[in-house]
Amino acid sequence: MNSLGPLSLEIGLGLLMLVVLLLGIFRPAVRDRRSGWVALSGLLILIEMSFAAAPGATLFGGSYVVDALALFAKRLFLVSAAISVLATLSLPSERFARRGAEYHFALLSSLLGMLVLASARDLILLFVAFELMSIPLYFLTGFQKMEDTAAEGALKFFLVGSISSAIFLYGLSFLFGATGSTDMAAIAPAMAQGNVLAKFGLVVALAGLGFKIAAVPFHMWVPDTYEAATTPFVAWLSVAPKAAGFIVIFRLYLEGASGAALVWVPLVSALAVLTIVAGNLMAIPQTNVKRMLAYSGVAHIGYMLMGLAAMSASGVGMVLFYLVAYMFGNMGAFLVVQAVGTSEGSEAMSAYRGLAQRSPVLALSLLVFLLSLGGIPFVAGFWAKLFIFRAVVDQHMYGLALLGAVATIVALYYYLVLGRRMYVEEPEKKTPVAVPGPLFLAILICAIGTVVMGIYPEPWVQSVMAAARGLF
Amino acid sequence: MEFPILSVITWTPFISALIIMAFARHRPLMVRLVGVIGSSITLVLAVWLYFAYDHTANGFQFQESFPLVPSLGIHYQLGMDGWGLVLVLLTAIILFAGSFASWTVKTRGQEFYALLLLLVTGVFGVFVSLDLFILFLFYEIAVLPMYLLIAIWGSSGEVLPQGVFGWAFKRTGVGTKEYAAMKLTLYLLLGSAFILVGILALYTAAGSTSFSLLDLQQVKFDPALQSWVFLFFYVGFGVLAGIFPLHTWSPDGHASAPTAVSMLHAGVLMKLGAYGVLRLGFGLTPDGALQWAWLVGGIACINIVYGAFSAMSQKDLKYVVAYSSVSHMGIVMLGMATLTEQGVNGSVFQMVAHGIMTGLFFALVGLVYEKAHSREIFKMGGFATMMPGIATAFVVGGFSSLGLPGTAGFVAEFLAFLGAWQSAHSWWLFPGVTGAFLTAIYVLRVAKQIFFGPKSEDPHFQNLPDAQGTEWVALVFLTCILVLFGVFPSLMVGPIDTATVSLLARMGVMQ
Repeated sequence: MNSLGPLSLEIGLGLLMLVVLLLGIFRPAVRDRRSGWVALSGLLILIEMSFAAAPGATLFGGSYVVDALALFAKRLFLVSAAISVLATLSLPSERFARRGAEYHFALLSSLLGMLVLASARDLILLFVAFELMSIPLYFLTGFQKMEDTAAEGALKFFLVGSISSAIFLYGLSFLFGATGSTDMAAIAPAMAQGNVLAKFGLVVALAGLGFKIAAVPFHMWVPDTYEAATTPFVAWLSVAPKAAGFIVIFRLYLEGASGAALVWVPLVSALAVLTIVAGNLMAIPQTNVKRMLAYSGVAHIGYMLMGLAAMSASGVGMVLFYLVAYMFGNMGAFLVVQAVGTSEGSEAMSAYRGLAQRSPVLALSLLVFLLSLGGIPFVAGFWAKLFIFRAVVDQHMYGLALLGAVATIVALYYYLVLGRRMYVEEPEKKTPVAVPGPLFLAILICAIGTVVMGIYPEPWVQSVMAAARGLF
Repeated sequence: MEFPILSVITWTPFISALIIMAFARHRPLMVRLVGVIGSSITLVLAVWLYFAYDHTANGFQFQESFPLVPSLGIHYQLGMDGWGLVLVLLTAIILFAGSFASWTVKTRGQEFYALLLLLVTGVFGVFVSLDLFILFLFYEIAVLPMYLLIAIWGSSGEVLPQGVFGWAFKRTGVGTKEYAAMKLTLYLLLGSAFILVGILALYTAAGSTSFSLLDLQQVKFDPALQSWVFLFFYVGFGVLAGIFPLHTWSPDGHASAPTAVSMLHAGVLMKLGAYGVLRLGFGLTPDGALQWAWLVGGIACINIVYGAFSAMSQKDLKYVVAYSSVSHMGIVMLGMATLTEQGVNGSVFQMVAHGIMTGLFFALVGLVYEKAHSREIFKMGGFATMMPGIATAFVVGGFSSLGLPGTAGFVAEFLAFLGAWQSAHSWWLFPGVTGAFLTAIYVLRVAKQIFFGPKSEDPHFQNLPDAQGTEWVALVFLTCILVLFGVFPSLMVGPIDTATVSLLARMGVMQ
């Protein structure tokens, strides 16, 4: 048992999945909320365990590591999943009648894929984990199967996702051809020798990963998928798989590569610029808040790519910091969309008119999230952007930093438009927006996280830097 | 430990704002009283600072320091030199007058006063920060509340866009307060993006150990780096200072903003930009400043003349005042570009003089609008008989604007032009003087039309009252100060000069 200690999180999660599944099979209920509560309490225990765990273990001949980066990523996945499950508890029951267990089982299995992915140091394990993460996501997108948009969004997501998996696998096959090994530790030496096949494989794999993290020009599936799926799930979808994609990128392209990684700077910078500019510009004309957040999420991926382009320990650390800030800000924003959407029956911008006078706390939370996404001081997003810029300036890429900073202003425009709806315009009715308890709690957690990170970033910086240093 | 006077003066408005938000819901009188008391305390403290300040010493006084994020070298570090002293005094004066001028805000007064005071905390913070990072944070606090202040309490223009592109302007919402608020916010945040990158570049070039102005001043940066970082600071802060062609937010924003916000924005916030160029651009990247002085001065000349011509062609009274700010900020920038002792002194003096003068103008425009419900110059006429107090103050402000001796404006323009004549580009004098001449035309024309011209026949404009009650405070107070600084300029020039001399000595243009 001792040798499986580092796997305790995955094993625990597997047990939790079984409990949820069996509960659904043997004790079906018409209005199933128990599976949600079970999943949530299980996740809380796992979060507790993940924070108690110490990094440093290696299993299966080096193909599975629990280093600081893996542990950091696992915590991020678990916390974001817990927030999403908490918010799911308040979904109108009809949607989940009889099928709550299925939903949570799928979500947890995707989460299991992510947990394994964060630790994988072997190409085959990596790909299996990648698929374990992705396939339940397609199913979850189409969970509301009676609605046409859900089926459409799920199909789009599925087609794009499978193609990207195939491309990713194609790239990995070149890596195997170049190195003769599925061990990822063999990639760095091959790159250092300037192996063309390995380089080609990594470029192809980057395209596959680009679909997953939704970097432009691989972002087409994002808005439709986000619009179609249930919002608490989208909140998670917009954060966790993206984070997983970045962890894979760090492992494939940076780990142990040191100087050889600089070869990626032009490619990643170009992707970053393209993603930031396109994401921000396409967000401007959106009238549906979910679509706006989808495009703005694309732009945020661009900022993280920018941190990656620094190809330095501080760059990677700041991407991790950005991911945490993005988790609180973006999930929080989606959850407010869920609250307003359920109460008003609309996800259009016009539903937010005068929200500040109807539900001041809700409006203030959304404002905090938007400011954080926009990168305004005293909330998490400001430090995230600042640190990214600093990492980039450290590498003397001043132009990239300036472009990022200017694009922030473009982003602020559409965030402010929503802010204006809430604060400047008069409401059509005076009644407050009804927010169910669990959802409100989830929003509050995100808001507190955003503000605390904004006011006191020091401990977070320490922990992300500790996670990033292991790679170099 | 000494009494942290700078922190107290910086945070007093913020605490007043908190008190207003916490205790004064649905109590409009209490909101106003807390606002006025808070601003009075800052004014008293600022005056006390003026007397406690050692006028003969240079360097930063009243320093405070407290480590904030030590691993990044960020400290809450405050201090004040001669420039900071006069600008803090200016801010306190305008805030005091502005809190009286907002007495008549009716809707959502609680939030209005709270945001106004929050903004002023940012302004004070910028003037007293010695840590670039803290300075940037305060800068953002000063800029952001403006969006809500204009979008909620502002007013849309009466004169709609015309001409060939009128339809396009109408579609984008030109002239509405929402448009103006968004434009202003985006322009200023665009500037702050440049500033942030500039600050980070200096920070990393100096070894990523400290954001402190005092530490960075000691570093001799690479001239190539200085060259582009100076341009970043110039563009970034220059947006807020209204440099051509990035000034267009200013007329729209100032014309749409409510009275007190226009007073603060044109009176104080634009100085924040000029102060930033002077402190960060000239102070930290002196080689870059020497290299680009021709550009700064040249654009300043365009500002002066172009702003004056634009002011001349306006039909809306508030736009006239707003464009005159663009013109006068040109004199500020011209003065610093001369790199002479007189010129830089004149530049800072003009910041104060223009701040008070434009504050007075916006207060007057607000009063006229309150009485007559109009801002269209050519509809009004002959108001002097009905509102002699307002007319008198307008004329005094106008004299200062066109630089009549005995008013603060004269001293400032005289010093700046003297500096221009002594500088390497003596031709700068001519656009400067032309601007002053054009100012006389548009100011006197407006004064003649509205106050002294033939009485308007319009039934709306009969039997209008003069200023009443609290309205007198802003009016009398600002007018007196304008004359006071005009008659005793040494009150200001003394402390300004100490900071100027140390800047120019560091730049190596003066022994």
